[in-house]
Amino acid sequence: MLTGTVVNYYTHCQRQCWLFYHNLNLEDNSEDVRIGKVLHELKKQGKEEIALDGIKLDKLTAEYVTEIKKSDADLAAAKAQLEFYLVVLHDKGIIRKGRLECLEKNKQSKSVHTLMLTEGEIEERKVQYRQIEEFLNRELPPPPIRKPICKKCAYYEYCFI
Amino acid sequence: MGKSSDTRYIFSTGDLYQKDFSIVFRKEDGNFYLPIKDTRELYCFNEITLSTKLLQLLAKVGIVVHFFGYYENYIGTFYPKEQLLSGRLTVAQALAYEQNRLKIAGPIVKGIAKNIHFVLYHYYRHGKSELKDYLDWLRKDVSRLADAVGDIKQLLRIEGEIWARFYQTFRLILPESFAMNKRVKRPPDNPINALISFGNTLLYTKTITEIYHTHLNQTISFLHEPAERRFSLSLDLSEVFKPVLVYKTIFDCVNNRKITVEKHFDKKLNYALLNEIGRKTFIEAFEERLNQTFEHQTLKRRCSYKQAIRLDGYKLIKHILEGKNFVPFCMEDKK
Ligand code: SF4
Repeated sequence: MLTGTVVNYYTHCQRQCWLFYHNLNLEDNSEDVRIGKVLHELKKQGKEEIALDGIKLDKLTAEYVTEIKKSDADLAAAKAQLEFYLVVLHDKGIIRKGRLECLEKNKQSKSVHTLMLTEGEIEERKVQYRQIEEFLNRELPPPPIRKPICKKCAYYEYCFI
Repeated sequence: MGKSSDTRYIFSTGDLYQKDFSIVFRKEDGNFYLPIKDTRELYCFNEITLSTKLLQLLAKVGIVVHFFGYYENYIGTFYPKEQLLSGRLTVAQALAYEQNRLKIAGPIVKGIAKNIHFVLYHYYRHGKSELKDYLDWLRKDVSRLADAVGDIKQLLRIEGEIWARFYQTFRLILPESFAMNKRVKRPPDNPINALISFGNTLLYTKTITEIYHTHLNQTISFLHEPAERRFSLSLDLSEVFKPVLVYKTIFDCVNNRKITVEKHFDKKLNYALLNEIGRKTFIEAFEERLNQTFEHQTLKRRCSYKQAIRLDGYKLIKHILEGKNFVPFCMEDKK
């Protein structure tokens, strides 16, 4: 089953998406991530998330579904993820607009982005999601492609060793 | 990747417990705080009391703990349950064992020969011309012999010969008090055997920790029989690092008189075991080597030898999952 993260990664890097989907998740290597996870585990109470069918929503109001990102490093991937939420909610009869909040803005001029999908666009996305599912069922991940984002990627060592 | 040193060695007796988000070690002369953030691995060389509550914390944050008995004997490892797992990889790893064992075991044996060659060449260049025959054999014959084998038993025979001939060179390299005639494993009956056993065990446990941080299954091994030990894949992956990490440390310690028979071994036990100062001295030298960095030729990044062990884990995953040839760490090629 697709999740928001998988859709985000598919847009970001297909190889990363495949590896992540098959649980070859190397994210934990980063010390910051590990500590973040630990602290999260240790003081679990606090912020509640709404979780349904592969989506975990940061916030849902009468008008918007909101996704909060640490930075705007890959806006296209974050938007794809948010659109996925809109489509899943739409199928449950929950019609909302999307609102993306980036805590740090480095690349874009604004930190809040809103988006909407028309009925036609929703159908297009669904076709695309089926393609992603087929992609994930492939035997092998696509080979790595040297990109600027690789330098900071948790898979760098695995990809280029 | 990580800090230069995230390993803690505990030599005294005491209690380990959790306080707030720290690990506290209480011993006779006071309390020591080990910040979780900087700790990835603990070694306990003495009697330690600890609670389930602490183990729960260690499991959550993925800290591996190795326990040793009073006589340096390895007791076992606390291997946190929450590890990285991938069903697809586990299945592929088992299939690789069934169908293609030699494709992984062969390169390991060739890798041992290459790294021994690297270590001994240094002595050859400095006048030990008697090493020539063995060096030539390592360089020219081993690879051809290993490629020609039809099963794992034949391969293991080559491996056995590599090590046996290696031990014979010690009389050329080491002072008389350390040279040895035969390798005795358990229990070691002379100083050099004690150093080798201790060094190999340290490397084995290091490898367990590094593999813990990958998705590999520790029980499915290729050169060693999977049943040999609980973490037999660590036996496999540590093999090519022995010459450059264990033996090089031993040669340096002994030849530079950092470790001597009189001062660093237990007289009561007929010098067959390191004493506490000996153990500490060796560990310090070993850690220093592990944390030494080099420019990795494929990754174009600086990398420590300890990280290189993990990277061999990644190479193995890549072979198993994506069919890329497995070539373990080679000291000469720096990759
Ligand atoms: S290192 Fe590059 S190719 Fe590999 S997963 Fe990351 S972004 Fe993709």
